[in-house]
Amino acid sequence: MRLRLDPKGTVERGIGLAVLVVLALGPAIFNEYWVNTILTQMFIFGIAAASLIFLNAYGAMTSLAQTALMGISAYLLGNMVTQGGAGGQSKGLTLGWDPTLALVLALVITTAIGVAFGAVAARSFGIYFLMLTLTYGVIANYFFGQVTQFGGFSPIAGVDQYTPGFVGEIVGHANKLYYIAFGVALVVYAAIRYLIRTPFGLSLQGVRDDPVRMSSLGYNVPLHRALAFGFASFVAALSGILFVWWQGQIAPGNIGLAATIELLVMAVIGGLTKIEGAWVGAFAFIVINNYVRDVELPLVGGSFNTIIGLIFLVIVIVSPDGLMGVWDRLWRSLGGRGGGTPDTASVTRQAAPEASIP
Amino acid sequence: MKNLRSWKLLLPLAGLAAVASIWVSGAFAGSQATNVIRVAIMTDCKGAFAFGYEIDIGGAQAAFAQYAGGKVKNPNKPSAGMTGITVGGKQVQIVGYGCGDDTVPTAVKETRRLMEQLKADVMVGPLSGDEAVSVANYAKSHPTKTFIIGTAGSQDPTLQIAPKNMFRYHGDGAQWNAGIGEILYKKLGWRKAAIIMDDYSFGWTSGAGMIADFCAIGGQITKRVFPPLNTTDYAPFVRQLPRPGTVDGYMWVVGGTGTAASLKAFEQAYGAIKPNEHAGNLFFAFLGADKVVGPKVVGTYVGGFGTGPGLNTPQAKAYEAVIKKWYPKIPAGDGFVYNYYNAAWALVRALKADGGQVGAALQSAMPRSNKSGYEVSDGGLVKLDARRQAIQDQYPLQVVKNADGSIGTKLVGWVPNVDQSFGGLFKPSSPAPGRSQPKCVKKKLPWQGKIRVITNGKITSQVIK
Repeated sequence: MRLRLDPKGTVERGIGLAVLVVLALGPAIFNEYWVNTILTQMFIFGIAAASLIFLNAYGAMTSLAQTALMGISAYLLGNMVTQGGAGGQSKGLTLGWDPTLALVLALVITTAIGVAFGAVAARSFGIYFLMLTLTYGVIANYFFGQVTQFGGFSPIAGVDQYTPGFVGEIVGHANKLYYIAFGVALVVYAAIRYLIRTPFGLSLQGVRDDPVRMSSLGYNVPLHRALAFGFASFVAALSGILFVWWQGQIAPGNIGLAATIELLVMAVIGGLTKIEGAWVGAFAFIVINNYVRDVELPLVGGSFNTIIGLIFLVIVIVSPDGLMGVWDRLWRSLGGRGGGTPDTASVTRQAAPEASIP
Repeated sequence: MKNLRSWKLLLPLAGLAAVASIWVSGAFAGSQATNVIRVAIMTDCKGAFAFGYEIDIGGAQAAFAQYAGGKVKNPNKPSAGMTGITVGGKQVQIVGYGCGDDTVPTAVKETRRLMEQLKADVMVGPLSGDEAVSVANYAKSHPTKTFIIGTAGSQDPTLQIAPKNMFRYHGDGAQWNAGIGEILYKKLGWRKAAIIMDDYSFGWTSGAGMIADFCAIGGQITKRVFPPLNTTDYAPFVRQLPRPGTVDGYMWVVGGTGTAASLKAFEQAYGAIKPNEHAGNLFFAFLGADKVVGPKVVGTYVGGFGTGPGLNTPQAKAYEAVIKKWYPKIPAGDGFVYNYYNAAWALVRALKADGGQVGAALQSAMPRSNKSGYEVSDGGLVKLDARRQAIQDQYPLQVVKNADGSIGTKLVGWVPNVDQSFGGLFKPSSPAPGRSQPKCVKKKLPWQGKIRVITNGKITSQVIK
């Protein structure tokens, strides 16, 4: 093994380690609101955004179904664990099943739905893939909003009261959920980094770069894409479980079009090419969402949506690879060398192939 | 090119610096003053009820001004704020106004912001049914915070969920419709009716009140139709209703822009609207604003909102005078104003009684009765039941044409002491109102046969026959 001098990589690892240390000490450093709301939420939405970035960066699949998949797992869990009757919940199936069983089932069923979604969408590319996944999102939104047995317009609530024994009580124990979300985020990050180095991950990147060639080499392109979608669905499902534990309730508005777009905006702000960007984007989005209130801009007036729209516009124009790309540019402008970790997908390689698969 | 690169870099860096400065100022915020009672007012500034934003805040703040020395900053704009509120020797600070949009995710987000970021001890709010369901669940897991519902019609928050730290000094959507069924049965001779209602918490609860009241006296509901919320084309749903002639009338529980749209669809499907064949919940009272549909529903009976606008009693007049004194432009008879006012007033009384303590002490000090403006029963006291839900007088209305040609409503009946359970029909263990709840059952309701006629704002001794 040959040592390679990579100053940028070293600096990045240093920054990453420092951030991890700060986050590990989060409850001691930050106030309660930041721990409970900003940072825990960042982990949760970061996980969902990571599933989107994984599909985009390594599979050239920009999915708008990740929010829906989050919601499906949250709804499944909510319907399975909550109990009806006096003092219980009044919406959904209120099956009152064992929380561990429900957790496993929610993850398995959501992943299975994701594989099925992926199988249908696997032969579509570019804008067609985007539209298909948007359709999934809309279907999920309307399904849970209008099939009132599963919840309807009202929230399925109190889900945070029914956690598996190995998790323990989370209501009133915000730090516990913080560390659970932190841990899951780390595992998801590591899993994605691992997956892209496996033979499957490498062939998936081959499919991303040239599906026709990969197909002629004998690789099953739709299967690769469907499985990648299934994996991303599992990641999104994890995020959905954490979300419903964090918020305690789930409603159709959580998986509506606005929520779908918000997740995409987080991924774009962070950077659609690097997994780390998911949490950077989620952090930026959530902080802005929390603190930019009632800001009146000249001419356009405005509120959060205007501000985040302008930021999004600036990011897309100035740094199409998001805040992570800003870092790359900063490094280069400071005269730094190195960079380009082996797993970094370039933006230029993102263009979705238009060729059809035989 | 290099210049271009540097500006491209500077912009996002400036953004990052801004975010970082917010972080530094917000993330490590210091401790708050302990001698201040922190109150949040949660309402909607977006969505279907955005019109209520200022008047809701105005209602709540009028109570702080009247009973706790609050100074109104701008009488024409309640959200400009209020200073100088003092109760029980402690200063009360309104830490923020929640901006909901009638959806659950925003309600949760805003509740967290108000209660956790701005560290409110008490919330006066929220507005609307599903928001209250959502906040009730939040309240359950935050027992040290106190929640006094602003205006919400869903039944669940105080019947099925019923957290001990949540209070509601007004009726739910079902209570608001008490008496309407009996009026339709007795005055219009309805025996069979169909109902069309929005397919969500408030629609179901409001519809439940109409169904329960009508069935209790002996009526039958032959069909229930559920258009999803925000439906724009009501034709397919109206077509599901039985044809005219097969039922005596139709009950409408369709809100927002849907009220007029659904009636237009009915007219297109089955011909002209006959007022004696239609009745509505409180949304019908807003039809006066619709120049096309409004005149066509003159004469229809309408469920109430727990308020008695135009009620000619000294207590009602005194309440209306208070609102006018502090916020001359907001309508005292509006249910939103009335309910937020009573919620804040109850809070002030509790804080006075417990010396300005919050948490469990405040919750046990919250008054079990309130001298609300339009209450007549029990010496004019709205009483709370064991689940901290109001037992409140109700006032069914009728759509009328005013002398100036405009379309409005008048009070037609006084329904005394309407409780949330409808005399035991709705129970904490029974399913919340839904597509098939409640069943249509004949039952003796506490107010049956006791609805008194109101003439020119005066409650007469005559009962409705």
